[in-house]
Parts: sequence; structure tokens; C-alpha cells
Amino acid sequence: MIQFERFTLDNGLVVLVHEDTSTPLVAMNILYKVGARDEDEHRTGFAHLFEHLMFGGSVNIPSYDEPLQLAGGENNAFTNNDITNYYLTIPVQNLETGFWLESDRMLSLAFTEKSLEVQRSVVVEEFKQRYLNQPYGDVWLKLRPLSYKVHPYRWATIGKDISHIEEATLEDVKSFFKKWYAPNNAILSIAGNCSIARARELSEKWFGGIPSVQIPLRQLPAEPQQKELREEEVHASVPNTHLYMTWHCCSRAHEDFYATDLLSDILSRGKSSRLYQSLVKEQQLCTDISFYMLGDLDASLLYLEARIVQGVAMQEVEDAIAVELEKVKTDITERELTKVKNKAEASNAFSEMGIANKALNLAYYELLGDASLCNSLQEKYAEVTADHIMRIAREVLTKENCSILRYHAAH
Amino acid sequence: MQHTNHPDRLHAPGIATPADFHFPDAEKHITQQGIPVFVIHSGTQEVVKIEFVFSAGNLSSEIPLLASAANELLDEGTTNYTSAELAEALDYYGAYFQTESTPDYAGITLYSLNKFVDQTLPYVADLLLHPAYPAKEIETYSIQGKQRLAVQLNKVDVLARRAFFSTLFGEQHPYGRVLQPEHYDTITTENLKEFHSKRYKGGLKAVFVSGLPGKNTVQRILHFIDEAGFNPSELPDFSSSLPGPQKVFVPKPDAMQSAIRIGRRLFRRKHPDYFTFSVLNTILGGYFGSRLMSNIREDKGYTYGIGSGVVSQHLDGYFFIATEVGADVREAAVGEIYHELKRLREEAVPEGELTLVKNYMTGAIQRSLDGPFALAEKQKMLHLNNLDSSYLNKQLFAIQSVTADQIRYCAEKYLQERDFTEVIAGK
Repeated sequence: MIQFERFTLDNGLVVLVHEDTSTPLVAMNILYKVGARDEDEHRTGFAHLFEHLMFGGSVNIPSYDEPLQLAGGENNAFTNNDITNYYLTIPVQNLETGFWLESDRMLSLAFTEKSLEVQRSVVVEEFKQRYLNQPYGDVWLKLRPLSYKVHPYRWATIGKDISHIEEATLEDVKSFFKKWYAPNNAILSIAGNCSIARARELSEKWFGGIPSVQIPLRQLPAEPQQKELREEEVHASVPNTHLYMTWHCCSRAHEDFYATDLLSDILSRGKSSRLYQSLVKEQQLCTDISFYMLGDLDASLLYLEARIVQGVAMQEVEDAIAVELEKVKTDITERELTKVKNKAEASNAFSEMGIANKALNLAYYELLGDASLCNSLQEKYAEVTADHIMRIAREVLTKENCSILRYHAAH
Repeated sequence: MQHTNHPDRLHAPGIATPADFHFPDAEKHITQQGIPVFVIHSGTQEVVKIEFVFSAGNLSSEIPLLASAANELLDEGTTNYTSAELAEALDYYGAYFQTESTPDYAGITLYSLNKFVDQTLPYVADLLLHPAYPAKEIETYSIQGKQRLAVQLNKVDVLARRAFFSTLFGEQHPYGRVLQPEHYDTITTENLKEFHSKRYKGGLKAVFVSGLPGKNTVQRILHFIDEAGFNPSELPDFSSSLPGPQKVFVPKPDAMQSAIRIGRRLFRRKHPDYFTFSVLNTILGGYFGSRLMSNIREDKGYTYGIGSGVVSQHLDGYFFIATEVGADVREAAVGEIYHELKRLREEAVPEGELTLVKNYMTGAIQRSLDGPFALAEKQKMLHLNNLDSSYLNKQLFAIQSVTADQIRYCAEKYLQERDFTEVIAGK
């Protein structure tokens, strides 16, 4: 349970405040409603590159990090296909430093050639370190375009290709900022030892004067229904063979989300789950197997990853998975249902342990429609019936709706 | 309110540093056998975390892998329940069970909703006392472990880390031994049971309970420990002649990036230079604005990240710098690392930078006290190092009062290139 208050500034910035007097800290989270799905297909990786540039100094403050560190603060950020999220934690007595820094970079950035040049090469190194220089690191670079043909989810956050990053210009970067970075396209949440009144005063003072802009109406092409099985084979110098599968499913905000999420939990959450018990423990076909829902804002994916025991045939694994997927369409016990609901309850409780998580949760659920959703998750999961889960399984886990990437170890 | 909407953006708001930290005292119980149980009541969620720590890390095992296998296989079957039954029981109540094995200690942690702790705790008690280490589970574990290791050995950062430890401590040293595939073939039900009986039943170091546990929960834990007959034990000592500094290259011809790991053996937490060195380390590579990050990432763009760290363990401490850089700029990056060490030896740190680092470190300590689990983690660190809660304010005072001269002197003493072991993995 996160108690909070919400107010909206005249420029459209939504502010959520959770007061917790037991900590000497405050967390500030700013979520911008822009992600990789908003990129031009010829300029992918931009939302993420931009996240890096947000640390290169703002219009009135040459360095973001220095003053924050001087005030004892710490910060980070992440970008995904839907959002770009920035957060900091700071000792309460220096909270105003956080407002000063975050509001200035919402106002405008410094935009220097040097900063762009350096962040381009940092991101290129990140591309190499995380996607190219790791065994199986490029899986999502292949799986996304296999699963999506039209919707921008077909490229990964890091971008389709390194060249898109390498060719980014200062003009591109400026226009991206003007388009998406504005108070009316952001959610600010504050959690920690700060009263509602103080949060309101500081929000008005630092963010109140930032003009709103016309945010473009998001008109992303819907992914057409998949009609036939898609398959791709990869042979690479990796130690073991892996199998990856995806199925199209509903979005995070859809009413079927909770049933779909519990479906994936029955199959794969915890060591007692069906896929783990059957394929890893009983049949020893895989060393590990996982199956989960991505939970994107637009129509999303269920994702399966199986790490195959050396010497076991791919087909045998696919058959064993098919058996479990068929079973779950017609047979879910009450005990299993209670189990995954208990697990969901625990996972929500543990996700609210620190102030930074609380701030992020508030902002994220506000994005979904209402921050108070984070306090009603329990009820949403409780309402789900076994019949509902089995119906989702029958609708979603079909051959025509599936994409398979077979990642073979080349010896 | 005349400044509303027209705040002074050109000047930073005033800042303050705390004069001391408030570290709430944990409730401490001592069992009949003298084992401490710390209870930290805090937080807003109706959950509890219970961590049992044993003197059962690698240091206590003569065979590599035995300590971590004994730890990781605890929940894979007991004399009363199969592995599947244990998994089902803990999952059913929404609990999370975690094993952890470090070079010195091993532990298990139960995360449970309060309302189910009476149901989940007995299973944890059972697996702590009666693990069966069934042959079939050992086999599955070995297959999993060997394949995971094969993946790990394809990563340059892993190759560099392994070579770094075996070079720094020697391959026979408990901190220098690295895991090999054949080690999985040495694990048996018998040697696991023997290790368990010696190091778990005879090695319970302490228990840390945090969150909002009820009175009954604490009583149950105390009762369980008394009944089970756990005995406390201290960590063993180990002496061997340690190798001198070396340069090692681990080739991986298809690598796009090379991993660099440079460091030296240092000292443990109680050494008089520890606090000064920790400030020096932060300046060099301990935070986002550090000299290594500013130079090698933010100025040159050679890497996605670079950092340094100080580690204090039971037998010895060490210091290291680690990064992954484009293979073509590897030599340049190594050159810049040594250049930064030299600057610290020769030039006093400017006052502004020193103040920034002091404040940053102070904030980091405050952050490490946020929430019940973090407080329990801090309590564990204090207890395992024989420190009490006054340590945090000593640390604060030491950090805030260190001078640029002391830092430079410390750099001169400990950051000499000739004392460093250098490992490169990649090409």
C-alpha cells in the first residue's frame, strides 16, 4: 500500500507525493512518456541515446552529476520501448538540489557537439558490451523483427543497427527533445521524507514556469494478427543451443493482463512451476527454462527461453513444451491458482520496499491510467479465475501466433 | 512567493551535510549456544526477511565448489521432503528462498509474507537441518553448472576476473581457486553431507530478521535454533606464500572488447588507512563522476563503464580497477588508467573535488540505511566484521575530516604501478 497525493501544475505536469518520515532520504522519479516505439525506423536507438545526453549538462547548469554528488545524491535512468525514466535519491535536507537539476534539464539541454560525440561512442560501446560481445546477446535484435512486422516494437531499445547511433546529428537530437521533453509529457513522483506541502511548493517553484508544448498524437501502426508460424535458425559460436519462442498477447492496460500474467506464472514462476519441473527436473531436457510476459503498453509478447542440455535434440524440447502448453489450456487446479496469486501478492509487497521503488511504481501506474492502481493490484489478481486463464492459453498459445528462434551452438 | 516560476537557476540551492547518522539499534537475542539473532523492526510492508549466516564459504572447504554446492543444493531435497515438495510448499505461500555463498560465509534467506511465515519457516528449518543431497539432484546441478560455466567462459569480463584472482592469490588459495568443469565431478552426497554437518550444524554465525516480524516469529526462530543444536564457529585461517605482481594476458581472438582488470592485495577493514583509502578509491573510480569515468568514458568514450573497488575479506583485502573497452583502444585505456594513478600520487586533490566526494560518500552511507532490508544488511556487515553501530559515525567523521595531503600520501603508499597485477582478456 502506497499512500499518496496527486496534483497537476498549470503546465500539465502531474506530481505524485508519498510521504515516509522513517527515512532520511527522498526519491524523485521523472517519467517521460517517450520510448523506442516513438522513433523513426531510420533513426532507431534515439530515445536511449537521448537518455545519455540528458547527463551532458542543461541550459543553465554545465554538469548534472557534480552538483548532485556534492549534495550527496545518486541517480540513474533507463529507457525501454515505451518510456524513458530518470530517478535520483538525495538526503532530504538537499532535496531542492534535485528540483533545480531536474527542472533545468526539462527546460532545455546544453546540446554541445562534444557531449553528443562522446555519448555516441559510449552508446556504441554499450551496444558492443551488452548485445554483441556476449553469448546470445543479440537474441532480441533477432527476435523482435521476427515477432513484429509493422509495429515499432520490431526494434530493440539500443537500436536496429549501430550506424543509426553513429550517424545521429545535433539537429536530430534537438528536435527529439523539443518534441517529447515537456512538463505535459512527464510524470513526477516524490517519495520519502518530504511533506505534501513542501513537495507542492518546490514543484511550483522549479517546474511551474516551464512551458508546455503540443505533444504529437501517437499514431503507431497496430501489429496485424499473425497468421502462421514464423521460424528462424541461427548458428553461432556459443557453448549451448537455446530455443526462444514468442506469442502475441495483450497490452499492460488490457483487462486480460492479469490472467495472462498468471498464465505465465503457472508455467514458469518458481522452481515448482510446470515447465521447470517437467523439462528441467523430470525429463532433464533443459538446464533452465523461463516464460514471462513483457507487459508493454501496446500489444505485447509472451516470451519463452529454453537452455537445452547438450546432446538433447531441439525437437524433443519443442515437443515437451507443446505438451505443457496443451495441458494448461484445459487443466488448472485451484491450488495452482492460489499459489500464483500468493506469489503475485508477495512480489508486489517486496517491490515496494525502498523509496525509489515506491516512486517508480507511482509514476508507472499513473502512466497506465491511475497511480492508485498500485494499491488495487491485489484485487485485480484475486478476481482472475482458472477459466479465464485457460481461455487466454487457448487463444494465445497457438502455432499460428508463435515465432521460434532456434539458436544453435556451432561446433 | 514572488520567486514562483522565476527561480534562480544559475546558482545551486544551498546544501548541508549531516552531523551524524541515526542507525536504529537492532534488538539482539542470544541463543543458548551463544548465537546472536538480530531483529530489525522497520518498514511499511507486512513482510519479513530471515537470513541465516554460516561460516561455510569457500574458505572452509578444501575442495573447490564444495561450499557453494552444499549451499545451493540445500533446497533440493531433505530426508523429509523431495526437492519438488519443498519448491511447491515455498511457492504456494508466495515465499522466496535464496542461497548465497561468498568466499568467507554462506547463507540462506527466506522472504515471506508475514501472514504465512508460520507455514514457510518449518520448511526452511527442515532444509537447514536435514538436507539429503540426493544423487539425482547433484546430477542435474552438475549439468546446469557445467553449461552455465561454458557460457561464462565466453565472456571477457569473467575471464579477466578469474585470471585476476588466481594471479593475485595463487591457484591454491581459497580466494584464488577458480571453478573448472571437472570440479562438478568431485561432488558427492557423502562429501556434501559431511561438509554440511561440520560447517552448517557446527557453524551458525548469526541470524538477521528484518521487516515487520511478529513476536511469535522471533520466538519461533530462537526456539528452532535452541532445539536444532546449532553450534557457533569462527572462520579458519589459511596461510600460504602469496605471489608477487604479474601481467597476464588471456587471449580471446573473436572478442570485440577486451576486459581489463588491474589491482593489488591491500588490507582489511580494520587497517588504520582503510577510511582514507576508501576516499581515494571513490575519487579514482568509486562513483559516476570519478576520474576514471570522467576520463575514459566521458572524455574519451572508450567504454560503457569503468570503476574501482576495495574489498575486505577475512584473510586479506584487495583493490581493483575493472572495465571493458573496445579492443582497438585497449592499450590507450590501460595507459590512461596508470596516468590517473600517477596524478593521484603526484598532485593534491583539489578542495572542490574532495568536498564533492566526501558529500557523495556521506549520502551513499545514508542510502545504505534506507528500508528494513538495507538496515539488516548493514547490521550483518557490522557483526561479521566485529564492529558495533558506532562504526558508522566513526566512518562519517573519518571521511569528512580527511585532507588532500593524507590522500596523496595514501596514493603514494598504495598506488604504485610496480605493485599492481594487470590482467587483460580479449585481444
